[in-house]
Amino acid sequence: MLNVCYLVLKDGTVLKGKSFGATAPLSKELVLGTINPAAGEVVFNTGMTGYHEILTDPSYTGQLVLMTYPHLGNYGCSNDWSEIGPEDNSDRSGVKLCGFITRSYYDGPIGPGRETLGSFLKSNGKFGISDLDTRALTLSLRDNGSQNAVVISPENSSSLTDSEIKQTLNYLEAFPSMAGRNLVEEVGTGKIVTENPDGIHHVVLYDCGVKANIVREFVKRDCKVTIVPSITSASDILSLEPDFVMLSNGPGDPAMLKNQIDTVKALIGKVQLTGICLGHQILSLALGAKTFKMKFGHHGCNHPVRDEFTKKVFVTSQNHGFAVDRDTLPSDVDVWLVNANDNSVEGIINKKLNIQSCQFHPEAAPGPEDSEWIFDSFIKGIK
Amino acid sequence: MPARTDLKKILVIGSGPIVIGQACEFDYSGTQAVTALKEEGYNVILVNPNPATVMTSPGIADAIYVEPLKAEYVEAIIKKERPDAILSTMGGQTALNLTLDLDNKGILEKYNVEIIGAGIESINKAEDRGEFKKVVEKVGLDSPYSIVATSFKEALVLQKEIGFPLVIRPSFTLGGMGGNIAYSIEELERIMTRAIAESPVGSALVEESLIGWKEYEMEVMRDKNDNAIIVCSIENIDPMGVHTGDSITIAPAQTLSDKEYQKMRTGSIDILREVGVDCGGSNVQFATKPDSDRMIVIEMNPRVSRSSALASKATGFPIAKCSAKLAVGFTLDEVINEITGVTASCFEPALDYCAVKVPRFEMEKFPTAYSALGTQMKSVGESLAIGRTALEAVNKAIRAAEFGYDGITEMEGLSDAEIQTILRSAHPRRIFAIYTVLKQQGPEAVTKLNKVTGYDRWFLYMMCQLLELENRIEKEELTPDLLEDAKKAGLSDDRIAALSKKSKQDIEDTRIKNNIVPSYHFVDTCAGEFTAKTPFFYSTYGEINEGGQLSDNSVMILASGPNRIGQGLEFDTCCTMSTLSYKAKGRKTIIVNSNPETVSTDFKISDRLYMEPLTPEYVKSIMDKEGVKDIVVQLGGQTPLNMAEELEAYGANILGTSVKGIFDTEDRGLFAELVTKLGLRQPKNRMAGNFADVKKCAKEIGYPVLLRPSFVIGGRSMFIAYSDEQLEEFTQKGIEISEKKPVLVDQFLENAFEYDLDAVSDGKNVYVGGIMQHIEAAGIHSGDSACVFPPYESNPKIEQEMIDAAVKIAREIQVKGFLNIQFAAKDDVLYIIEVNPRASRTVPFLSKISSINLVDAAVSVWQGTDLKTQGLVGDAGVAIGKCTCGWAVKEAVFSFDRFDMIDPVLGPEMKSTGEAIGTGDTFGEAFSKAQASVGSTLPTSGTVFISVNDKDKDAILPIAKKLADLGFSIAATKGTANFLYKNGLLAEVIQKLHQGHPHAVDYLASGKISLLINTPMGSDSEVADGYIRTEAVKLKVPYTTTISAAIAAVEGIDHLVNNKIEVRPLPGMNVEISL
Repeated sequence: MLNVCYLVLKDGTVLKGKSFGATAPLSKELVLGTINPAAGEVVFNTGMTGYHEILTDPSYTGQLVLMTYPHLGNYGCSNDWSEIGPEDNSDRSGVKLCGFITRSYYDGPIGPGRETLGSFLKSNGKFGISDLDTRALTLSLRDNGSQNAVVISPENSSSLTDSEIKQTLNYLEAFPSMAGRNLVEEVGTGKIVTENPDGIHHVVLYDCGVKANIVREFVKRDCKVTIVPSITSASDILSLEPDFVMLSNGPGDPAMLKNQIDTVKALIGKVQLTGICLGHQILSLALGAKTFKMKFGHHGCNHPVRDEFTKKVFVTSQNHGFAVDRDTLPSDVDVWLVNANDNSVEGIINKKLNIQSCQFHPEAAPGPEDSEWIFDSFIKGIK
Repeated sequence: MPARTDLKKILVIGSGPIVIGQACEFDYSGTQAVTALKEEGYNVILVNPNPATVMTSPGIADAIYVEPLKAEYVEAIIKKERPDAILSTMGGQTALNLTLDLDNKGILEKYNVEIIGAGIESINKAEDRGEFKKVVEKVGLDSPYSIVATSFKEALVLQKEIGFPLVIRPSFTLGGMGGNIAYSIEELERIMTRAIAESPVGSALVEESLIGWKEYEMEVMRDKNDNAIIVCSIENIDPMGVHTGDSITIAPAQTLSDKEYQKMRTGSIDILREVGVDCGGSNVQFATKPDSDRMIVIEMNPRVSRSSALASKATGFPIAKCSAKLAVGFTLDEVINEITGVTASCFEPALDYCAVKVPRFEMEKFPTAYSALGTQMKSVGESLAIGRTALEAVNKAIRAAEFGYDGITEMEGLSDAEIQTILRSAHPRRIFAIYTVLKQQGPEAVTKLNKVTGYDRWFLYMMCQLLELENRIEKEELTPDLLEDAKKAGLSDDRIAALSKKSKQDIEDTRIKNNIVPSYHFVDTCAGEFTAKTPFFYSTYGEINEGGQLSDNSVMILASGPNRIGQGLEFDTCCTMSTLSYKAKGRKTIIVNSNPETVSTDFKISDRLYMEPLTPEYVKSIMDKEGVKDIVVQLGGQTPLNMAEELEAYGANILGTSVKGIFDTEDRGLFAELVTKLGLRQPKNRMAGNFADVKKCAKEIGYPVLLRPSFVIGGRSMFIAYSDEQLEEFTQKGIEISEKKPVLVDQFLENAFEYDLDAVSDGKNVYVGGIMQHIEAAGIHSGDSACVFPPYESNPKIEQEMIDAAVKIAREIQVKGFLNIQFAAKDDVLYIIEVNPRASRTVPFLSKISSINLVDAAVSVWQGTDLKTQGLVGDAGVAIGKCTCGWAVKEAVFSFDRFDMIDPVLGPEMKSTGEAIGTGDTFGEAFSKAQASVGSTLPTSGTVFISVNDKDKDAILPIAKKLADLGFSIAATKGTANFLYKNGLLAEVIQKLHQGHPHAVDYLASGKISLLINTPMGSDSEVADGYIRTEAVKLKVPYTTTISAAIAAVEGIDHLVNNKIEVRPLPGMNVEISL
C-alpha cells in the first residue's frame, strides 16, 4: 500500500494522493525562504511515453511535472535512457526535476535490467504523487496558468490539519516564482569536458544544463564537442577556435541570465551561433528581442512546427515555459520556424550573422525524431 | 495549398456488403470521405451495393449507385458519369482490389480517370508480400524470415530451414483470410492448398511464426509535402497469433519505452514514404520480441481500415475525412482539428485516457469454429470503451461488448483442464480464464500466465490489482471510499452487488446517497491542453465533471452497440438518420453507443456523443447529467428495447409506442390474445415452461414444429423439428427454459411464402413503407432470406389482408413509430408470424427504394406531426409505398468462408453478416445484380450440379429444363439424375462422397461446376450433403439451397444471357440526408 500524501498548490488547492519515490516532507519541515526539493512550479506534459527522459532532463529543474497520460512507470527506468549531460561529480549533478504528478502509478513487475520508477525516484531523492485528478489540475493550469506547489506528507493519520495547510500555504507564498528564477548555475558541467576529440567539426557547447542527446547527436555527426560551463567568457570560448558555438537548453527564466546574454552578445558576429530551447531564448535576447512567460508553456511530444521557408511541418518534442516575443525581434532577424498551433516563434535565423536557433528539441528524447535534420543545418551553417 | 481545381467529379468506391473483416467501419470512412469532398465543392459519385449504409442514403452523395463492385458494372458507371478521379482507399480491400482490376483492364486509362488516395504502385508495394518485404529491408527494418510460395513443395523449403510453427497467408486478401498457423507437415499441406486457392494471384507467404510476441499498430497520415503524423498507437493485449481484429487492444501503447516507441514511429513513416503513400492514412503493424530489441514489421494497409476507424474514435481525430482532403491536394497543416477548432491536423493526438476495444464473437452460432483463434479474423463486431485507467476501460469495454461478461470476471463451471485448454489455445475467452486462474492461485500465477498466454506482465498485474480490489469488496465493509475505488476500476453496480452480496438497488442507492456518480470528460485530442469544441464524452469516477448540460429539451437516441449477427449496420443507420432528422427539426440530440465502427459514433452526427456501454446503469447516469427524459429505443434493435422498462421506471419518457405496447407483442401469450381479438390468424402455437411440456405441445400441434426461446433477436437458438428425434436434439442444446422464459412451440408452415411489412404509425394513421416477399420459403430466417420489393408473386387479396392486419395491430397497441410484421401465406391463407414494434433490418433498404425516408416519418410522429400532416397518408388514413426503382432485391451475405467445416445451410437461426441490393427493370435483372454483389455472380454458361431431396423433385424439373434451354449442361446425383431422365432430361451422374472418386467434391474442386442447386430442407438425411455445400463455399461456386432461390437464379441467368449491363443511380428521397 502506498502512503497518503498531498499536493498543495499556491492558490489553496489541496489534493490528496498516494506517495511513491522519496517520502514527502512534513509541512513543518518547509522552511520559509528556502527551496525545499519537494516544492516547485507545476507544469503539465502531454507526452505519452518518455517519463525517464523527462525526469533526467536538466531543463525541468525546479518543476513538478504533471504527466497528463494517466499511467506512469509502465516500463520502468534505465540509466541508458538518461538525459543528464556530461558532469563533474559536484553538487550540481543528478536528477533536477522535483517530482511527478500522475493519475496512476504502476508498481508491478518490469523487464529484466530495469529499475522501477519509484525506486529510481527514491534513490535520487525525488517525489511522486499518484491517484489524484490530474485532468482537473491540467485544466486549471491551462486556464489559470502554471503555479507553484509542494508535495507534503500529513503529520498524523491520513489527513492534513488546517494548521498544516496554513503553514504550507505560507511557505508557498514566499516561494519564488519561476519568472525571475535563475537556475542555470545549478545545472550543467562545472569544467570543460571534451567528447569525440577527433571529430571533424568542432562545436563548443555552452552548457546551461544540456541534454545528453544533444551531445550524442553532434557526436553521431562526427563533431568534436567541447562542453563548457555557462560561466565561460566569450574570449575563452573563442580561444577554443570552434567551427560554431551551440547554446544549450536549460531551466528557468532566460531574461534573468544577464551574464550569459552578455557573453553571447560578445560572440555575435565573431563566430557562427546556434541554440536550442533556452539557448534559442538567450540568443534572441542577445540580439535585442524580449522573452515572456507563457501561460502554461509547451510541454509534450506532439507540437507541429512549420518551416517558413519550405512550408514543411513536423512534429516536435517541446519543453518551455518562456517564449520569444515575435514583435520585439530586430528587423534583420527572420522567423524561421513557427508553431502551427499558436503561431509562436519556434526558431530564428540571421543569415548575415550566421545564427540559427530553435525553441523545440530536435534531439527528441523523449519524442519524435522528425527534426533531427536541424543538427545537419546547424553543422552546415549559413554559407 | 488549396484543393485541386483540375478535378470536378470524383467516384468513391464503397466496400459492399458486411462480411467478417470488412464491416461498417467502411460506411463510416466512406460517409466521411464523401462529405469531406462535397464540402470542397466536388461532384461526388458513389458506388456501393450495400443498402444498409448511411453512405447510400439519398442526399449524401450527388449520385448514388447501388451496383455490384465488379469491373463491368463500374465501367458502365464510369462511362455514364465520366468522373475525373476515383478514390480507392475508402472501401477496404474490396475497393483496392476493384481499383487494381479496373486499372489492369485498362478501363481507367480508357476513360481518363485518375486514381487518387493510393496509386497502383503503392497498392502493389504494400499488398504484395514479396514487394513489401523489400520495402521493409530498404528502410532498415526487419521482417520475419519468410518466402513467397506457390505450392506446398516450395513451402517445405522454408520449413526445413526454420521448423514449425509457420504462418501461411494468401496474397491479396482481406482480414487475413485463409491465413493460418501450421504445426505439422499435414497441416502445412492442407493450409497451403487452401491459401493458394484463396489468393487471387495464387501465391502465399510462408513465414516464421511470431506467436506470443507483442503486437502493435500505428495509424499514420502522410501528405504530398512529406508531412507525416502518427494519429494513434495501439497495443494488442492478446499477443501475436491472434488476428488483430480478434484481439483485445488498447490505445495508446502501454508497455513501450520512448526509445522503442520512437523507433516504431519513425519506422512507420519511413515505410509510408517508401511505399509512396503521400495523400492519406495507412496502418502499419509491428511485433516485438518480449524483453529484447528485436522489432519486426508485419504488414501495412495503404488505406483506411478497421483500425483507423477505431483510432479515430479513440482519439477524436477523423482519419478518413482528413485522408479525403489530402487526396485532393490539401496538406496536413491546412486541415483544422475539428475538436479543438484551433489546432492544425498536423499534430499528434495526446490522450489522457485509455481506449480499449473488445471483439465480439458469435460463439453460439458457430460453436465449433471458435475453439481457437488464429491469423484469420472471426469476430463479427467490436465495442470500444474509454476510461481513465486501463483497468476501467477494459472492464467497460467487455461489458459494452454485450456477450454476457460484466467486465473481467472469472469463468464459472469449468474444470481446471478446460481452463488450461482455453489458456493455451488463444480462445476468445482467454482473458476470463486468466482471471479465473488468478482468482484461484493469486498473483503468484503471473509469471506462469505470462509464459503460457504471452499477455504482458503489465496487463497481468492490472488484473492482479482488480483481484485485490474484488477481494476487499468480498471481505470488507463496503465503505464509500471502497465503493468509489470499485467504480473507478470500472466495476458495475451489478458486479459490486454480487461481490458484496447486496442488491444492485442497494449499491445504486448507496452510490447516489454518497454522491458517487460518474464524472464525464471530453475526448479532446490534446489531453486538456486546448479547450474542446466538439462534445464527445466518456465517463469515469471521482473527477472533474465537464460539459454541463446540452439543453433542457434534448432527445437521447440509444444505438445498437457492437455488431452481431441480427443486429448491425441497419440499426446504426436508423439511429444516424433519426439524429439528422431531429437536428433538421431543431432538436438537440444525444447519441449513446459503444460501437467504434459506426457512423453514429462520428462526433459530427449528434450534438453530443457518449461512448459508453449500452446498459441501464450508464444510460441512467447520462439521463441525470443531461437532464434528458425523452429517449428513442425503437431504432437500435433489441439492445435499447431491453432497457426500456428499467429506464421508464427511472423516469424516462420512452418516445412512441408505450413500453407496455412493446411488451404486449414480445409476450407470446398476450400476443396470441391480441391476434384472436383482432380476428387475425397465427400458426398454431403453444408455450412451454419445461422440456416435457415442449414435447407435449409438439404432439398437440403436429410436426413439423418451430421452436424458439423468447426475448431473442436474430432467431438465436431457433430450431425446426420434423420428428421426436429432432425435438430431442433441441432439448440438448442447453437452452434456458423456465416459466419466466418459456420456449415457444409453433406450427411450422412448410413451403409457405413469407413477407416482411414495415410501417410507420401515429397510433391512428398507418403508412406502410412496403411489403417485401422472401425468396426463400418459410423456415429460413428473414435476415438470411433474399427478399424482393415489390412482391414478385403478388396476390392482391393477400397483400390487402396484410395491410389491414397492420392497421388493426397499429391501432390496437397504439403504435407510434415503427412497426414490422412478418407474415406467411400458405394456400392463400395469411398467418402472422411475428410483430416487432421497432425499426426492422429492412428500414434503410425500403426507405431508399421507395423514396420515402421512413425514419424521418417516425421522428416527425414523435415530434407530434401526424402522418396526415406529413402528407404520407390521405383521408383514408392508410397508404402504401411503391418501389421507385423498378425491382429491388435484397440478398443476404454470409461469412461462412471464415469458418472451417461450417455447413452453409440456412435455417430459422440467422447466420448472415450483411446484405446487398440489386435493382433493375425486371426481377431477373435485380436478382442477378444482387447475386453479383454478394460475390456469387450467376454463370451464363457451364454445368449446373443438381442434388435435391425427394419432395423438391417435381419442382426442380422446370428449372432444370430452363437451364438446359439456356445452354447449360446438367449434372446430378444419382437419384436426381434418374428422376430427370425419366422426365426427358439427360444429366451427367455425379457420385456422392461415400460412393468413391470422382465424386461431387472432385467435380467442384476441378472447377467444372458453375452453379450448385442443393436442397437439404425438411429431411434429415440430406444434412449429409453438407460437405458439398461446405466445399462450394470454400471454392466460391455459386449455390442455392432452396427451390425458390433456384427459380430466382434461373430468372437472373436468363436476364444475364439476354441483356447488356445497365446501371442507374438511386432515385431521391422525400426527406434527404445531409451532414
